[in-house]
Amino acid sequence: MKKKVIVACGGAVATSTVAANKIVELCKKNGVDMEICQCRISEIESNLPADLIVTTSKVKRDYGVPLITGMPFISGVGVAKTEAAILAVLQ
Amino acid sequence: MIWEKLDPAMILTNLEAHSSDEVMEKVGGAVIRAGYAKESYVQALKVREKDYPTGLDVDGIGVAIPHTSVDHVLKSGVAIATLKQPVTFVQMGTDDETAEIKVVFMLAVVDPNDHIDELQQILAILQDTTVLEKLMNAENAQQIIDLVKEKENTL
Repeated sequence: MKKKVIVACGGAVATSTVAANKIVELCKKNGVDMEICQCRISEIESNLPADLIVTTSKVKRDYGVPLITGMPFISGVGVAKTEAAILAVLQ
Repeated sequence: MIWEKLDPAMILTNLEAHSSDEVMEKVGGAVIRAGYAKESYVQALKVREKDYPTGLDVDGIGVAIPHTSVDHVLKSGVAIATLKQPVTFVQMGTDDETAEIKVVFMLAVVDPNDHIDELQQILAILQDTTVLEKLMNAENAQQIIDLVKEKENTL
């Protein structure tokens, strides 16, 4: 079944675009059928339901969906671990 | 390639600044004067930084990537600043962890989907601590451009 991943940041300008692109590449490489919904943090709720939320900003709310920080895609520190965590949710 | 589009008017070496607001004023001011952003850009940077901080700790080197929504931007570009003394920024993805910022990549983004390659190039540059060390030692805009070019040629 096709998975839906919400990728969100403060303004949906820079960091979520990069993170979304990385997640698409990762899923393609691992044969995960998914679609990305890129939005602002404030728009997460209106884009639910989803299978996974990845954000590059701090989110305190619990959306009832696994939430993973996409920060490593920006800083380059800890990318492999984050990729494994994303695949663990989607596979 | 980023380096071909770098505007020397938006590259500031050894910039004196004592707060993240002052970084926004000085670097953002250069972006406005160079014609890449509207007058509202600096204030928008400051507000956004408080809600969604952009400090990064790249293996011990503090890098910030301030940016705003597209409404305040006129054309896409990137400003680069190296700071004389480190300036404290809050780290992206947190609301209380800080990083001592030494290098600033200020983004002027018009349409993120058009610039995904450029955004990734910029991240590839700032994720490389060897390049960051060299950038911090650069004395002028041309040296910064040369270092970015050198790095991009390896990507």
